[in-house]
Amino acid sequence: MVKKELRQRAKELANEHEYLPYMIERYISLWGEEDTLKFIEACEQPIRSSIRVNTLKTSAGILLHRLQDKRITLEEVPWLADGYHVDFNGASPGALLEHMLGFYYVQGVPSMTAVSVLDPRPGETVLDLAAAPGGKTTHIAQMMQNTGMVVAIEQDRQRMASLQSNIIRCGATNTIVLRRDAKKLDNLPFEPDRILLDAPCSGEGLIPLDPTRKTSKTMADIRFCATREDEMLEAAVNVLVEGGTMVYSTCSIAPEENEYIVDDILKRHPEMEIVEIPTDFGSPGYSEPYGIKLNESLKLARRFLPHLHGTEGFFICKMMKKEGPTK
Amino acid sequence: MKMELVDPVDWGSIIEQIDIEFGAGVTKSLLGNRVPVTMSRGGAKIFYVIPTEWMSRLTEIAEILDIQLIGKELGSIDKGRFRLSLHILVELTELTESVIIVSRRGAEAFTYGRSIIRESVVELNTSLVRGQRVLVLNENRECIGIAALSVDAPLLNRLGRNRLVAKNLVDIGWFIRRLG
Repeated sequence: MVKKELRQRAKELANEHEYLPYMIERYISLWGEEDTLKFIEACEQPIRSSIRVNTLKTSAGILLHRLQDKRITLEEVPWLADGYHVDFNGASPGALLEHMLGFYYVQGVPSMTAVSVLDPRPGETVLDLAAAPGGKTTHIAQMMQNTGMVVAIEQDRQRMASLQSNIIRCGATNTIVLRRDAKKLDNLPFEPDRILLDAPCSGEGLIPLDPTRKTSKTMADIRFCATREDEMLEAAVNVLVEGGTMVYSTCSIAPEENEYIVDDILKRHPEMEIVEIPTDFGSPGYSEPYGIKLNESLKLARRFLPHLHGTEGFFICKMMKKEGPTK
Repeated sequence: MKMELVDPVDWGSIIEQIDIEFGAGVTKSLLGNRVPVTMSRGGAKIFYVIPTEWMSRLTEIAEILDIQLIGKELGSIDKGRFRLSLHILVELTELTESVIIVSRRGAEAFTYGRSIIRESVVELNTSLVRGQRVLVLNENRECIGIAALSVDAPLLNRLGRNRLVAKNLVDIGWFIRRLG
């Protein structure tokens, strides 16, 4: 499709489905018209609720039994140890006693997957950047069995309250919460073994959960987010210990906030490399979005897309910092 | 917030308040091989317990970073009175007999911020006295908060079914109410 035709078709579809034209134009360039229409249709469907069993407070067996007694149905997420799709049958997920007791955390499947990919181990020092509201922080603490140290960094005062509340509710006790700009980590007095950067983003993957996103963000907003994501990832790479692991994720489907950011980091930091994610989920990252050639290894990153995986859109890339001199 | 080692006077007062209400030696058991530290927020002092091996690293961290929460929150002192944190309830439940067990309905009402009335009480240790703080457990013996007794336990059976037995001080419904 030539550019003029693409623009015209994108404009028609955007008008019909109430999106901003630049979004549809990018989707057609990335996936073609047929998949774009599938994406648009999938974004009109509700995303299945999901929870993570908090094994710091209970076991899957006990929780499942109790929830089933309340006529709540659960189905395991195949690649997640403690993740379940849930049908609450009209009950409010946050108002159940088991939630107040910290037995589970209501969390999207891609978010749980990001921590599972990070694979934090007991005894390690793990940095969680832009940590509020704490779903990933408490998941990391859980995987570390409350040993080692999870350093959760958050700058926003309002969101800090939810972060602290969730840490307490979930019984995480190996956590330090710092109020700080995640772009400024230079004087951090330790080198983390692992870092999770689930970066604040434009939220372009959240259209199924928030239809206002179809029109609320411009291309300038995406560029603004991309600049911030780049700065945060740069700061994180600089403090990661040699041999350490980093997971970069966003709830955006925009290559500008995902593959482009990682590609730039790989160019600036030859000591960083993308590593394969051993779990089978989602689909490969893009190494040539919009026809622009990026690092081939970006195919090792994973994407969740509403029309292919029935989840919100999400990007997960696992990297390692090589040991020894690389320049 | 600036983190400091606890003032021995404050710590002595905390040990006294916890041990009197929840049993001799309970504070020591809660502490285990961890170290108490404190931070000031507004007019209150908040107390945390942290692993001893964190201390050497934290001396450096505390000087340059704005710590908001660390390790396990034990509670806070505000206007001279020590208040226990929800963070330690599970651990405390295993260490104390200062508990009141309430019915399913009473437990539900309690998590909505209500106090405990006579008809909700399933079990109350007869040695407990008016004014003292007790852990509130549901019939599965899961701690759902803290209450202050309004009556001496031996007098419980003399009360009418709608009479107040224990006043809600804090409950796990706070997690939802706080976040809306």
